[in-house]
Amino acid sequence: MKRREFIKTSALAIGAVTIVPNELFASKNSRRFKVIYDFDIKYDEKEFPAKLWNPLPYESDYQSVKYLRFNGNYDNYNINSDNSEDAKILYTSWKKSDKKKTLHVEMEIETSYREVPLKLIKKASKENLPIPQEIKKFLEPSSHIPTDGKIKEIAEKLTKNINDNFKKVQAIYDWVTKTTFRDPKVIGCGVGNAGKMVESGYFGGKCTDISSLFVALLRASGIPARDIFGIRLGKSKFSKALGKSDAKGFANISTWQHCRCEYYIAGAGWIPADPADITKLELVERLKYNDKRVKELRDRYINSWEMNWVGFNHGRDFILSPKPEQFPINMLGYPYAEVDGDVLNYYSPRAFSYKITSQEEK
Amino acid sequence: MRYIFLALTLITLSFAKVVTIHVEGMTCPLCTMAVKKSLKKIDGVKKVKVRLNTKKATVYFDKNIDNQKFIKAIKEAGYSGKVIKK
Repeated sequence: MKRREFIKTSALAIGAVTIVPNELFASKNSRRFKVIYDFDIKYDEKEFPAKLWNPLPYESDYQSVKYLRFNGNYDNYNINSDNSEDAKILYTSWKKSDKKKTLHVEMEIETSYREVPLKLIKKASKENLPIPQEIKKFLEPSSHIPTDGKIKEIAEKLTKNINDNFKKVQAIYDWVTKTTFRDPKVIGCGVGNAGKMVESGYFGGKCTDISSLFVALLRASGIPARDIFGIRLGKSKFSKALGKSDAKGFANISTWQHCRCEYYIAGAGWIPADPADITKLELVERLKYNDKRVKELRDRYINSWEMNWVGFNHGRDFILSPKPEQFPINMLGYPYAEVDGDVLNYYSPRAFSYKITSQEEK
Repeated sequence: MRYIFLALTLITLSFAKVVTIHVEGMTCPLCTMAVKKSLKKIDGVKKVKVRLNTKKATVYFDKNIDNQKFIKAIKEAGYSGKVIKK
């Protein structure tokens, strides 16, 4: 029987922005990017069904989706945040058929430089205010973010005799950026198994690995922290290592997924950090830890993010909706798809297949 | 034609031998694919199901295959396995 084809176009209303103290300072230097995802789902059988969960950006005062449109020949779709991590997802599915399975997604994303002033952080840290109830879950361990064993041991050693929370963050940040290194052989962003990293004693990894180690050590020290999964959108003003585009501002960003992190100081709110990009700068520009440029980025990325990037969610080890056959998912920075319980290789845009492009608007 | 194929598949599987293996070390959905691909390379294996949440691999096969072959295949994929049901 010939399957009916659906062509749908949808748009999302932009949700209300919640202002919290740390975000009041982050509203300069806005940038706009037109981001396009094109899917043509591949599988090694002629007839197959497919299910696709694609992460969408969250809303904040430093990043906003101005419009979202999508169309394709899917049979069903929904946009939901029905998961424990409040991760926003565009879900599409196709019934079993021999037809191409396509989805085209377009978004315009506006971002602005994000920084929480050190003065504010230090002042709030000295006050040592209680952690709000809703933030306490970011102290909890997960299967990839343990807070006991060797993680606890290292955290205690690094923060011994330090009472101030921000000083603890600084000690852990310095150790992580000094100890870890970017291993280009790691696939994608890495699995982000902080426990395995410390047990093995091998500190090479990519952004999810290094961010997860930072997050685990902070949580073990009583400081709420979380990984933030997202994708680089274009040129970095600091270094080509951290994002680039052609002369017209265009970039193929299919493999540019990038994990950053945040930590929480009561009275200052969530504070951005990116220890993994320090190691990327060192590798790509062949710089040593004590190089002036590395030091400059280290100083910046303990409390700011350059926003040539957009964040999707902070989910770790959670279950998507509708429930896939494989769960829990370790993280959702990449598109995720299943065919009859088989997971498509999200690290390979060509095999999957998908293409993601970004055009910065001048 | 589709029904004939389905019937043949069911007949084949109903006569197949089955083994369930506990797989340790899978941390993400793609790990299930690595285990599945490695087990499917064994001559005589007809179908493999791997589930991340239960950490179980179910292997359907139609030849006499020593359990150690399954364990070896899982090890080659980077994980460890233990047969829990024959």
